[in-house]
Amino acid sequence: MLLGEFEYLMLTAAARLGDEAYGAAIRQEIEDATGTPCSIGALYTTLDRLENKGLIKTWMGDPTPERGGRPKRMVRVTPTGVDAATSFYNAVRRVSRGVVWAKS
Amino acid sequence: MGEVMRCNGSVLADLASTLLEPHERDVVRGDLAECGVNGWRACLEVLGLVARRQAALWADWRPWLALVGVVLPIGVLLSHASRSWADSTALDISLYVRLWEWSYLQYPGWRHELFWSFESIALSAAALSVWSWTCGYMLASVSRRTVWVTAIVLALVVFLATLGTSTVARITHDKFAGHFYGVVLPRLFRAAFVMLPVLWGIYSRRKGVIRPTMLFAGAALVITLTVLKSPGLENSLVWGRGLYGHAGPDRTFGTSDDPRPLWPVALVMLWPTAYILATAMPNRQRRLDA
Repeated sequence: MLLGEFEYLMLTAAARLGDEAYGAAIRQEIEDATGTPCSIGALYTTLDRLENKGLIKTWMGDPTPERGGRPKRMVRVTPTGVDAATSFYNAVRRVSRGVVWAKS
Repeated sequence: MGEVMRCNGSVLADLASTLLEPHERDVVRGDLAECGVNGWRACLEVLGLVARRQAALWADWRPWLALVGVVLPIGVLLSHASRSWADSTALDISLYVRLWEWSYLQYPGWRHELFWSFESIALSAAALSVWSWTCGYMLASVSRRTVWVTAIVLALVVFLATLGTSTVARITHDKFAGHFYGVVLPRLFRAAFVMLPVLWGIYSRRKGVIRPTMLFAGAALVITLTVLKSPGLENSLVWGRGLYGHAGPDRTFGTSDDPRPLWPVALVMLWPTAYILATAMPNRQRRLDA
């Protein structure tokens, strides 16, 4: 199963954040990496899609004061998700061999 | 001014978030608060998520069944019937308002006519209400999460399906009365005897399933009113679209020998009732077996 590009970005952001991976943090990681805004709509619909595919697990985390006492949706990448992200990354590396933007 | 605009956007974002599931509502609002997104941007973000969630729901067959099987056909019939019966009600009301004299009540003929006018208006209102209630109940049964979208489409169909058509009953003796009876009263009819019962039907379904005794009594009421009002329903389609029916062998409209080629439309009005009965019966049997 080959991921979509946004799905790969989300899996990578969640893997990098580890135990601190949740909606707002993943969104910030993606915005920092891509330099473009990430909408809440795209974020949560993609989280649902990844969870339906078994690539992540989500659960409700504890509320915090900076969130107005509202809970977080925590995210953890599953082993299947790691395999899918690895496949995508390797595919991008293989197909990018020798192209001009991959040399820099 | 900027602060006021931001507050308005945040209020709208909170309102829009009520369209999300409860567990997601808190999470999304928390994320936006943590990221410092407020005002109109927060509102747009929430609306974007709501739109995506709704679009995903319409990938299922149930909302389409509700739209094509209930909203469109029944909405068109309710639109024509409500406009037609509002017009005939307007005729009666305007006559009594203009010609009323308390002394007329001593005459049996006047009392008889008054009673039949009242009965006609009451039966029309009751038929519209029960048809609309069953429609709302069925919409909420078939697809709970898209019920507000289908209800809005139903409202549009009810209020707009008769655009470009007219009826033969128009009161034009003065501008105020002409506007009230020709424009305002049909809309009041539709609001009071169609949309309010639809909303009540939706609310009733969300509260829970109807009790069996109420179910059968309600079905009997719907069937009785449908039988009584089906000639009027058919006439609202014929006359309401500027067509003219056949007068039958006696060459007089409105008598029992008039042909009724549109009689099956009454069955369309009974379709939500049949659905409610059919889906309630297995639940009842399961409860009895348990």
